[in-house]
Amino acid sequence: MQKKTAYSFPDEILEHVFSFIQSDKDRNAASVVCKSWYEIERWCRRKVFVGNCYAVSPTMVIRRFPDIRSIELKGKPHFADFNLVPDGWGGYVLPWISKMAGAYPWLEEIRLKRMVVTDESLELVAKSFTNLQVLVLFSCEGFSTDGLAAIAAGCKNLRELDLRDSEVDDLSGHWLNHFPDTYTSLVSLNISCLGSDDVSFSALERLVGRCPNLRRLLLNREVPLDKIANLLSRAPQLIEFGTGTYAAELRSDVYSNLVEAFCNCKELKSLSGFWDAVPAYLPVIYSVCSRLTSLNLSYAPIQNPDLTKLVSQCPSLQRMLVLDYIEDSGLEVLASSCKDLQELRVFPSDPFGEEPNVSLTEKGLVAVSSGCPKLQSVLYFCRQMSNAALVTIAQNCPNFTRFRLCLLDPKIADYRTLQPLDVGFGAIVEHCKDLRRLSLSGLLTDCVFEYIGMHAKKLEMLSVAFAGESDLALHHVLSGCESLRKLEIMNCPFGDKALLANAAKLETMRSLWMSSCSVSLGACKMLGQKMPRLNIEVMDEKGPPDSRAESDPVDKLYIYRSVAGPRFDMPPFVWTMDEDFASELS
Amino acid sequence: MCMELQLGLALPGSDTWSRPLLKLGLYEDINVNRKKRGFDHGYLEDEFSAASFKNYEKGLVGWPPVETWRRKKLRCQVHNHMTAAENGYCGGRASKSTYVKVKMEGVVIARKIDISIHQSFETLTTTLMTMFDIFSHFPFIFGSVDENRRSFKLTYQDKEGDWLIAEDVPWRTFVRSLKCLKLIRSRG
Repeated sequence: MQKKTAYSFPDEILEHVFSFIQSDKDRNAASVVCKSWYEIERWCRRKVFVGNCYAVSPTMVIRRFPDIRSIELKGKPHFADFNLVPDGWGGYVLPWISKMAGAYPWLEEIRLKRMVVTDESLELVAKSFTNLQVLVLFSCEGFSTDGLAAIAAGCKNLRELDLRDSEVDDLSGHWLNHFPDTYTSLVSLNISCLGSDDVSFSALERLVGRCPNLRRLLLNREVPLDKIANLLSRAPQLIEFGTGTYAAELRSDVYSNLVEAFCNCKELKSLSGFWDAVPAYLPVIYSVCSRLTSLNLSYAPIQNPDLTKLVSQCPSLQRMLVLDYIEDSGLEVLASSCKDLQELRVFPSDPFGEEPNVSLTEKGLVAVSSGCPKLQSVLYFCRQMSNAALVTIAQNCPNFTRFRLCLLDPKIADYRTLQPLDVGFGAIVEHCKDLRRLSLSGLLTDCVFEYIGMHAKKLEMLSVAFAGESDLALHHVLSGCESLRKLEIMNCPFGDKALLANAAKLETMRSLWMSSCSVSLGACKMLGQKMPRLNIEVMDEKGPPDSRAESDPVDKLYIYRSVAGPRFDMPPFVWTMDEDFASELS
Repeated sequence: MCMELQLGLALPGSDTWSRPLLKLGLYEDINVNRKKRGFDHGYLEDEFSAASFKNYEKGLVGWPPVETWRRKKLRCQVHNHMTAAENGYCGGRASKSTYVKVKMEGVVIARKIDISIHQSFETLTTTLMTMFDIFSHFPFIFGSVDENRRSFKLTYQDKEGDWLIAEDVPWRTFVRSLKCLKLIRSRG
């Protein structure tokens, strides 16, 4: 019988078809259909996202995808944001840059999150990728303005430079001068994290003035208010703007200049910055308010009634970030004014204070959940909660995709019934079928985890602290949450049983973080032996694990799947429990 | 609902989760059930300090989960507002550097520390001790962190040039008038 080929399409046709497939998931699916699709797909993949830089090596990525134009890498675990990962842990980008320098000369986009980026890396980027258009350093560290100078000087096609929340060593404000006078292609600049000596204002002014396509400009705190008008007048085409310090003595000329400048920005949709904001200068943005879709006041110490008055003028708001100075009353106004609201984040103005300094309770969140039908994403810090409120919120907002509640006292009970908050969070997972991200807090027993395991089928990321009573809780989550990718746990009595019983599950996830829990060293070693495709990293600053008993709980545990094997750049306080370790010491 | 998880491994005790986590450096005891952690409350006459202490006393590293960069920015702001209020000026200019010089008795090289990221004397002294590597001279297993802490005294020079004992005053007063720090050995 004659063998017929399934396809007689030339490769170019398939390549053309694949070019319409943008999402990684779909591309991955296409690549496993058959060998020829795998081959064609890998040659025409242009974008790679590596959620954990240690899950794969740069060599492997380059070997499979020879012609990448855009790469995104993430390094440290999320809890590094809260000081739980010691310095020197890892997440170095240099090995990646070094390998890609030779392999991807046409690289256009580099996006890094929670990685250690040195000036050397930045210099290598500037030298190797002449076509670089986008550089995003989100929550990175390890570099100085010298590195930025190299980027400014070398990347002639740069469109976007975003240093969001990174820690930069300030050496000189003159790095901006390194953008040549002929450079005019800047579209997006975020330098909001830079310190006092990092930015030469005159260089900034000239840069802004000669880049007609600049749409997004987020300044650092040191840019004084009286310079803003001038800057804005050079860039009336801005869509997104972040002010510097928003405080100054009230002067009529400064005030009127600002009013005019903001008025002329007809396309402005997003505002942020507002450091040290004083109420006197708030009205200058009133002309923009009706158009605003995003407003970040989370650094503004503005209180009511000024704050509420401002909010009431922004009916188009979709995204609102604010301090708890807004209080329940302000949130009620938000609920009645902003019917398009999709995302709300309320941060604590005094997170360590013993007594509440503002009147922000569960009532504010209930009001917003009731008044804003499109609400999807919530991050809310407050001091009291009740199951009844959570149930109401859940019923009001079945479309939640992200729900993060942080009660400042982490083990506080329902303030009305003194019961744990299991039922409340249970309602959230039961009603919100599309929930992808959840952070728990308050007094919680194993019950809430049973609800989560039962209902949270689309949950991808779960953050847990000071909750649960036994391993059963962890078992419910690991065995029930089918879509779980990231699990981070601190200070919970979870131990060996659940981990070992669900070891296979860990290979389906990106990572698991457990700190100050009850996982024993012995269990870690066992996991290391059983699961060769998992990196089991134990972190302990007291000393090497072999100096302690098998039953001793480990301080911090970070488990992640990897095809690259154990990493080689571990600091002295991290030990990997691979097969060698376990057998060496037994 | 009761489930038995079949395993062939001995379990640690069920209450081990509450073990103290006295770490060298920045990590504090995270056991929220204990009221005191051994920090000498004799210093805390002032009610205000006691209040702002208690929360940190719970020693919740990583809680509440506010990102470090957000904390830093907010603290700079509070600091600025305090200074500004004192000067009778509403709203301040951009933050001045919050770094102060620290010297230790017997050590030639002075260091610098960012005072704005600290909330209490406890975290400040612990950080300083790590910085000057005091723990390497007093190994953890032979003495408690508190014993080590008590063998050194934190002093500071205020804006008038006087040298005072840091923990004799409330935290806020200390921060406001602080010019530079010095760690000296406790006699006796």
